[in-house]
Amino acid sequence: MDTVYQFLQHAEEILRGIPLIGGLLASLYHALLGGAPEWVLRALAIAIPILFVLAVFPGIFAYTTLVERKALGRIQNRIGPNRVGRWGILQPIADGVKLLTKEDIVPRRADQFVHFLAPVLAVIPSVLLFSVVPVGAGLIPVDLNVGILFVFAVSGASVLALFMGGWASRNKFSLLGAMRAVAQVVSYEIPMVLAAVAVVMATSSLSLLTIAKAQSGGFLNITNWFVFRPWGFVGFVLFTIGAMAESARTPFDIPEAESEIIAGYHTEYSGFKFALFQLGEYLASIAMGGITVTMFLGGYNGPGSGPGFFGGLISMVWFFVKLAMMIVLNIWIRGTWPRVRVDQLMGFAWKVLLPMSIANIIAVGFWHYLTIRPVAWVVTTLWLAIWFSILTKLAGSEKIAQRTYRYAS
Amino acid sequence: MEIAFWIFSAITVLGAIFAITLRNLFHCLLSLIISLLGIAGFYLLLFADFFAMIQAFVYVGAIAVLMIFAIMLTHHVMGDEGPREVLGGKWWAGMGTAAIVAGLLWAIIRKDQLAQVLPAQGAGVPYTKFVETIGRALVMDWIVPFEAMAVLLTAALIGAIVIALEEVIRKR
Amino acid sequence: MSVPLGHYLMLSAFLFAIGLCGALSRKNAIIVLMGIEIMFNAGILNFIAFWHYKYFASPTAQMFAIFAIAIAAAESAIGLALVIAVYRHYRSVDLDEMKSLRS
Repeated sequence: MDTVYQFLQHAEEILRGIPLIGGLLASLYHALLGGAPEWVLRALAIAIPILFVLAVFPGIFAYTTLVERKALGRIQNRIGPNRVGRWGILQPIADGVKLLTKEDIVPRRADQFVHFLAPVLAVIPSVLLFSVVPVGAGLIPVDLNVGILFVFAVSGASVLALFMGGWASRNKFSLLGAMRAVAQVVSYEIPMVLAAVAVVMATSSLSLLTIAKAQSGGFLNITNWFVFRPWGFVGFVLFTIGAMAESARTPFDIPEAESEIIAGYHTEYSGFKFALFQLGEYLASIAMGGITVTMFLGGYNGPGSGPGFFGGLISMVWFFVKLAMMIVLNIWIRGTWPRVRVDQLMGFAWKVLLPMSIANIIAVGFWHYLTIRPVAWVVTTLWLAIWFSILTKLAGSEKIAQRTYRYAS
Repeated sequence: MEIAFWIFSAITVLGAIFAITLRNLFHCLLSLIISLLGIAGFYLLLFADFFAMIQAFVYVGAIAVLMIFAIMLTHHVMGDEGPREVLGGKWWAGMGTAAIVAGLLWAIIRKDQLAQVLPAQGAGVPYTKFVETIGRALVMDWIVPFEAMAVLLTAALIGAIVIALEEVIRKR
Repeated sequence: MSVPLGHYLMLSAFLFAIGLCGALSRKNAIIVLMGIEIMFNAGILNFIAFWHYKYFASPTAQMFAIFAIAIAAAESAIGLALVIAVYRHYRSVDLDEMKSLRS
């Protein structure tokens, strides 16, 4: 918002600096907004990022559903949707039309008000998360001082929508799904927050823009990414696992597993409300992907990114490339790994991820205070490796008998 | 900026009133959540953005979820609307006390000199350094209460688990 | 402009009274706990209002507020654990039914 406001204030000089079409763009701008008063520029500076977020990210969501279905199809040795338009390009539009025109069935004994409100409350936090994701150098809708806390506060609030959906449906399966969903989300929130605390410690700031800026520099703007530090790598893994569990994606999709609990907390929803639940879930996973990219994968940094007009464009390209990589990672893991059992899920969060995230915080402390870099590398890596082996030995003590096949040979 | 104060106070006070008046337990909880979010809005107005996020994170994200679990585990049968009468015995004593407290506080506050103070604009600490100030204060000047809080929270955690555990009935 | 401090103090006084009313008149133990939470929030709002108006430069009031929020969380956890334990014994959370010290 601040960046857009500054751009609008000095737009003519900036536009004139673009080769070839600069003069044309500058005179176009002068014709439209030449003598505009202050409040118009402010209103535009607020409206443009909002419209950007509302236009771009649901579009990414729509095509993520298509990419996911095609990719899952290929993993399962079949082609995904390919009937609606070449390669299924128009499939999301067809899905949208279908869901919008479906009959909206509400159970008679359901709590009408809460049943109506739950899908809306599932979407609001997911969209709010995009307001603190920097999509380019300095291009963040709102640069909050407490950006990371905002992210966690909002994803904590999204827990309530899960429960409201399950409770209001007056359905035992929905309630059971809602209880398990709430337990899962709350358990995985803690290692996620602690993994983010490691990044906060390393950059002494809660603002996501500052964290992205701290990862610039280095060779080709790449070597300073936090994922290439020992604590950053562990933090990245922890945060990604936590983010996948937060948005209830496989292998953590007990809340909505079709073979387990019908459809969990959104069993009794049809048509547009179901579409809203899906929108909320996918947008949450895309937003969490964006936040992972910002905190660990360098945000918008890449070769050629930097302040200034062309640097800003290149940084946007890099951000979306990395976001696409995170989405593909999510889809890939969904297609290849089986679902985790409920007690294994809880045990994993509390017995493995939580101690590992605390060890990660101590590792960042070591990294900060051991100023001789090679010593810091060795000590931090050793510390994390020791804790990793201890925790996986302690947790993986369930012996599985060798499977004997009766008919296959 | 005054209109923001009145909007947030309407949200908070109405949320609190509905939280203690509604019949359906779950609607009371939702109303309490709205009230807590209204208080978070107040913290934003008072330039305490760290506290606004902490309020949303701790109160709405954790305590309200805890209440959800407590309601789920102590609700009789799904489909109940709750007891016929929501007021306990001697309810008039409770409302009377609350009215007396409110009246006393109103009488004290409206005439107080201190209460007419307008905010001291930005004296001292620049806005972007608030979180750093809190962090430094926590680990330097206020380290003993910080550690005491850690012990208290650990004790509360272990205590809550122990209290809520199922008793193991030994069959003899 | 801005509101004087008295508005915040009155607001937190009203919230405290509402929470007190809920904690003293309702029958359901969980709503009593909700009333207690409202009272806590009224108090913490008071701290932050005083910080904004008078003590902007020092973090003391913010420290008080942090510790008060942490204590409120701990108290709410224990209170709800107690409610669950009592429910297991009495099969209800109705405060009027828990009249005797013997079960």
